[in-house]
Amino acid sequence: MSAVVIHDPTLRDGQHAVRHQLGVAALRGYAQAADAAGVPVVEVGHGNGLGASSLQAGRAAVSDDVMLSTVREALSTSRMGVFMLPGWGTSDELRKAVAHGTDVVRVGVHCTETSLAERHLEFLREQETEAHCVLLMSHMATPEELAEHAASAVGYGAQAVGIMDSAGHFLPGDVGERIGAMAAAVDVPVIFHGHNNLGMAVANSVAAAEAGARIIDGCARGFGAGAGNTQLEVLVPVLERTGFTTGIDLYALLDAAEFAERELMPAPPVTGSLSIVSGLAGVFSGFKHQVLDHSARAGVDPRDVFFELGRRQAIAGQEDLIRDVVAELSEKAGA
Amino acid sequence: MTVIEEATAPRPGAVRAVSVAVIGTGAIGQDLVSKIHQSDVLECGLVAGRSPESAGLRRAHRLGYATTAGGIDAVLAAPRPFDVVFDATNAAAHVEHWRLLQPLDTLLIDLTPSKVGQMVVPTVTGTHAPTERNISLISCGGQASTPIAHALAGRFEVEYIEVVSTAASTIAGRATRLNLDEYVATTQHAISTFSGVRDTKVLLNISPAVPPATFRTTVHAVVPGATAEAVRAVVDEAAARVRAFAPGYQVIGCTVEGDRVVVSLEIIAKSEVLPPYAGNLDIINSAAVMVAEQHAARLALAAGTKVGR
Repeated sequence: MSAVVIHDPTLRDGQHAVRHQLGVAALRGYAQAADAAGVPVVEVGHGNGLGASSLQAGRAAVSDDVMLSTVREALSTSRMGVFMLPGWGTSDELRKAVAHGTDVVRVGVHCTETSLAERHLEFLREQETEAHCVLLMSHMATPEELAEHAASAVGYGAQAVGIMDSAGHFLPGDVGERIGAMAAAVDVPVIFHGHNNLGMAVANSVAAAEAGARIIDGCARGFGAGAGNTQLEVLVPVLERTGFTTGIDLYALLDAAEFAERELMPAPPVTGSLSIVSGLAGVFSGFKHQVLDHSARAGVDPRDVFFELGRRQAIAGQEDLIRDVVAELSEKAGA
Repeated sequence: MTVIEEATAPRPGAVRAVSVAVIGTGAIGQDLVSKIHQSDVLECGLVAGRSPESAGLRRAHRLGYATTAGGIDAVLAAPRPFDVVFDATNAAAHVEHWRLLQPLDTLLIDLTPSKVGQMVVPTVTGTHAPTERNISLISCGGQASTPIAHALAGRFEVEYIEVVSTAASTIAGRATRLNLDEYVATTQHAISTFSGVRDTKVLLNISPAVPPATFRTTVHAVVPGATAEAVRAVVDEAAARVRAFAPGYQVIGCTVEGDRVVVSLEIIAKSEVLPPYAGNLDIINSAAVMVAEQHAARLALAAGTKVGR
């Protein structure tokens, strides 16, 4: 049986579902529960990572410093992870995260822009902190391109490299092909991070593991933007039944998921109409709240907004495009 | 060893023009050479890169300029110091370039986000009388957003300013990619300095869209009590002043919801070298050339001669 390392971004990617409003008690409680279940890595932060609390993407309820010190204190065996987008966070934020006792840093870049991570991956290697590189919006690149970018990331110092299905656009065959190509191109663990817009997150994760991924992401109750991420407490037993070991205690994991449902979210994510549309349009699910807000105000169909954002190839971080698109559609409708 | 190639065509003109050199042959360096080529008062004496094969050096050579792959060493080896040196390399290299050029009587104009020199934003600081010999053009996003941040803060009580810029991947060269931290720090420093607002934030996206997306900057501000009409008037006035030297500078959106002001701008490049979407490079280079031309006018005044070629 092959071992798979589970990486849990409930307290980071889940933030998108609650407009980055997780408080200290929620962060502490979930981190303790995940730690008790033996989840290897617990990731924390604003939904867009270190330094990302902003009007553009939403302001967090709690500062990066408080998030990191709270989770660090709550973890006894689990390792603490953070996420960072170059251009949003800087080496200053990485330095602070390292000082807070961060074990694993993920540097995220759009899937065809790996060279944006060069500086920060090198910095993390100098700090002797485990550095991963994750390629966002990976449905926008071919398997060959992803393999090439994965190899570049490893060249810059990434100790694991992988893809995020940020728009929840993939089907299992797509994932198998991409992970296979990347695993053949690098000699470090390959990561898969799924989203559930088309109901495929768990199936895609299994396809990833079978194609050679050795780090798989999952969130309690699928806590995440829109339709949510891969549901962690489903993912783990499914991987075990498929023949992968995770080292996670099932009952304690189910308890952590209960805590998450009760304390982190108003309700578990569902695959709503808009999430299906954003998955089909290939747009970052994290745009959902702002698309809904601006569309409602202007009286335009939020589905049209998502498809237009997809046509413009908007990537994570370009929330300011939403206003433009809504204004343009509203003008057209009025004309 | 440094080899300076002779220009293929002699430059006409008996009166000495202000001599300038450009270090760096990426998109910024190439557009600078093209803008200098069109200037009546600037005479490009040398284009310095590091790779003899670079497209930028070949282009400069075709325009008839002396080129070298010897970088800063070749600039220092010139028989007479250049009046103006444009630095279009990277932030770390700029620190070294300034150290080497400081003893000379040269105006160094910095296109990298090094944060070393005196910051210039044409419509905010003017370009005519810098007091230092190292001039920082801050960053492309800084040139795009500072006029708006400055104008809003001049008219309203602004509590917070955030600037988000998106540039096309195709024009983000290696120096840009390695200098994201410096871009953020230097742009933020400029926004805070010229708006007087302490709480500021700067974000940068690199867009891979095909065809490439036009450079855009969005200024978010927290402004209690602002009205849509008053904000729009301030923004339009500031943008009109920028258009005097960067004609592709356009206000795309301007909304006020409660205390939140959101101003979106796009810049279309009007350049012989740059694609239309590269307005970020056009605005910073136009500002840089203005600084050099003002310096030329000052030198001419000091010498009591009319500068031309």
